[in-house]
Amino acid sequence: MTATENSTNYKWVGTRPIRHDGFDKVVGKARFGADLDLPGQLHGAFVRSPHAHARIVSIDTSAAEAMPGVKAVVTGADFPALDPTHPNFDTAVNCMARGEVYYHGHAVAAVAATTKAEAKAAAAAVKVEYEALPAVLSIADSMAEGAPLANPNNYTKFAPPGDPSNLATITNLARGDVDQAMADADVVVEMSFDCAHVHQGYIEPHACVVDYGDGKANVWCSSQGHFRVRSMTADVLGVDNSKVKVVPAEIGGGFGGKTTVYLEPIAAKLSEKSGKPVKLLMTREEVLRGSGPAPSAELRIKIGATNDGELTAIDGWMAYGVGAFSDMAGLIGAMSVASYKFPNLRMETYTALTNTPKSAAYRAPSAPHAAWAIESVVDEIATELGMDPIDLRLKNAAVEGDLTAMGMPHPRVGLVECLEALKASDHYQSEPAEGTSRGMAVGFWFNIGEESSATVNLNEDGTANVITGSPDIGGSRASMALMAAETLGIDVYSITPIVADTESVGFTDVTEGSRATFATGKAVVEACEDLIEQLKARAATIMGVDVGEVAWVDGAAVSPGHGGGEGGDPLTLAQITAQAKRTGGPLAATASLNAAGAGPSFAVHCADLKVDEETGEVEIVRYTAVQDAGTAIHPSYVEGQMQGGSVQGIGWALNEEYIYSADGAMENASFLDYRIPVASDLPLIETIIVEVPNPAHPYGVRGVGETGIVPPMATIGNAVKAATGVRMTSLPMSPPKVLKKLNER
Amino acid sequence: MSQHRAFTGGVAVVQADGATVGQIIDDLEANYPGLGMALRAGSSAGIDGEIHAEPEYVPVTAETEIYFLAPVVGG
Repeated sequence: MTATENSTNYKWVGTRPIRHDGFDKVVGKARFGADLDLPGQLHGAFVRSPHAHARIVSIDTSAAEAMPGVKAVVTGADFPALDPTHPNFDTAVNCMARGEVYYHGHAVAAVAATTKAEAKAAAAAVKVEYEALPAVLSIADSMAEGAPLANPNNYTKFAPPGDPSNLATITNLARGDVDQAMADADVVVEMSFDCAHVHQGYIEPHACVVDYGDGKANVWCSSQGHFRVRSMTADVLGVDNSKVKVVPAEIGGGFGGKTTVYLEPIAAKLSEKSGKPVKLLMTREEVLRGSGPAPSAELRIKIGATNDGELTAIDGWMAYGVGAFSDMAGLIGAMSVASYKFPNLRMETYTALTNTPKSAAYRAPSAPHAAWAIESVVDEIATELGMDPIDLRLKNAAVEGDLTAMGMPHPRVGLVECLEALKASDHYQSEPAEGTSRGMAVGFWFNIGEESSATVNLNEDGTANVITGSPDIGGSRASMALMAAETLGIDVYSITPIVADTESVGFTDVTEGSRATFATGKAVVEACEDLIEQLKARAATIMGVDVGEVAWVDGAAVSPGHGGGEGGDPLTLAQITAQAKRTGGPLAATASLNAAGAGPSFAVHCADLKVDEETGEVEIVRYTAVQDAGTAIHPSYVEGQMQGGSVQGIGWALNEEYIYSADGAMENASFLDYRIPVASDLPLIETIIVEVPNPAHPYGVRGVGETGIVPPMATIGNAVKAATGVRMTSLPMSPPKVLKKLNER
Repeated sequence: MSQHRAFTGGVAVVQADGATVGQIIDDLEANYPGLGMALRAGSSAGIDGEIHAEPEYVPVTAETEIYFLAPVVGG
């Protein structure tokens, strides 16, 4: 680890305790979404559209309803019709089509039966008559003059009222005089890039069990945010939030893909109609066809520079294909341009609808696409100027006060520190191994705050429970315990962190945007600080002193008036909690907040690789990820996030893509043909944690979960260029595509 | 952003009064119908360097710097 500014000597923050959920996960005791079975439960199965775009003429469920074991069948007609302006209208229609299907795999009906086989057979017996409609299957098709509408309910956001459109957002950001700056530049590089849809590839498919009774849906599911599951399910069902309770299961990966619902409202309606609990699972094929891949993109980036390496202007055109429902991918992509000073900037970006599955977030959504293009062009400029790629970036790196593309100045950020850390690293200081070539690139992500709640209960024996509503998708439970331990001054192993259901903890936003350790951590610290005031008051009672004379030091109350001496005779937390009943009752505190001040995070990656010029295969030999974590609460978890993001970005770079047939069906809907890296594909990802603390968090935390996926595609593209002289501009850089470009040299 | 100029007749710099972010937005909506709604739909704002979600009641002064942002969510 490279501690750049963090000179604080914490006792617990920054250590590596055994994770609280580790044992259960290693021995198989952890309960994931599919692991719960309720007495009498039914099994569900979906009917899905075979068309990319069609009107539903009729649905005949009578044959299915008559089949053995079938207890309920639902279609879109079973759900209340939401107004198209309702915030969850798209969610509701995506869960189950109403009158029109918008992509191959769009759910049309669902069946609940006593066995999975019966449910599947009954689903096949549902008769759906369709009238095929023109399908929009590419960004170019979507944006073409006179293109058919992918979804007639979409209107361009943040614009004056108009007609339905295939464009969800149109964004124009500008500063300075780009045209003049390009005319004055010594070097101008312009290139076009594209990337296909990719999937988050979480190892756990979507799963839930819902038991509807007495007007209430009790939901067990894994998700990145069970409060959002509650509100989305309630809205789709047309009931109050209080009529849906969600119990969070352990999650087997989310990465943004589990920030919405696909199953829960359907299972709830099946349970309501049948009077039985219903378990609904997605197969892997359904996950790929019917959940939310990351957007595709087409990008054109032009950058101008002076001979001494100042990047003076950037002119970008970016279009993101987001599937059949509204999204803001293009706007976020524009906003993610934040790594360099660029005194002159123009970004024209679009979010375009297509008749493909509704996109979901994927770890720093939209930023990887933009970074892929921009970092590739910056690399070309470094080569043309004969500059070291790190030195070029150091010369232009954004620092506090420099403007992002949105025009907002950066707060304190750590890009320079990350670049310097890579430059000084063993990897970068070593020559590439024989036969390998090197590339590097930069990535940025905003990170977010949003709402969190935390309750901290002190037990009679001085142990503590830290209760939050943030599903743990990457180590946040352990981090909550560490922050509580540091604040209270007690052993982290005396703290039990749990993630409670929607009725047992205050409202908490989704675990997304790398917010949990930052925002929920703030709530935990605030609750602990409240507890310290309570503990001091109780100690004052026990000691017989004024509360103003009591301080809290290293987990104990101290007062000069107690036991003599300067520090007095301290009362430990356990000694105080043992007397809780005598001094006023249980000791507990709750904090809720809307956290502001999330600190942005930069990452810098470096790869050494070799390219097999006979097969086009790219083999990564060494990979280093550097990232600013602010303060690494639990460094092992931070390293894991950096490694995970790197590996996902590498898969995006080298192999992963949705391949569609001419009529819009995904042709590679299995892990056999949708090729995600496995452990044997890659070397160990080396990590260097940089710490430039975020002043807006009590322990300096910056989110770390997402930034790691932003640099890898350009890192590898830049290394491939170094190895072969060929600039790959289309992702993935799979062997056939690399070989084709090599043969064109 | 330049698409907001569609509500201001192309004007890039406008005046607004208010003691909170919400009041600023209301004032903009009163003078430039549709602009306030478009800004509110964004739901985040950078206020003196800190990003706030749903900043409706965040107090502002004449010196406050506000950047209206899209709701960045993440994955």
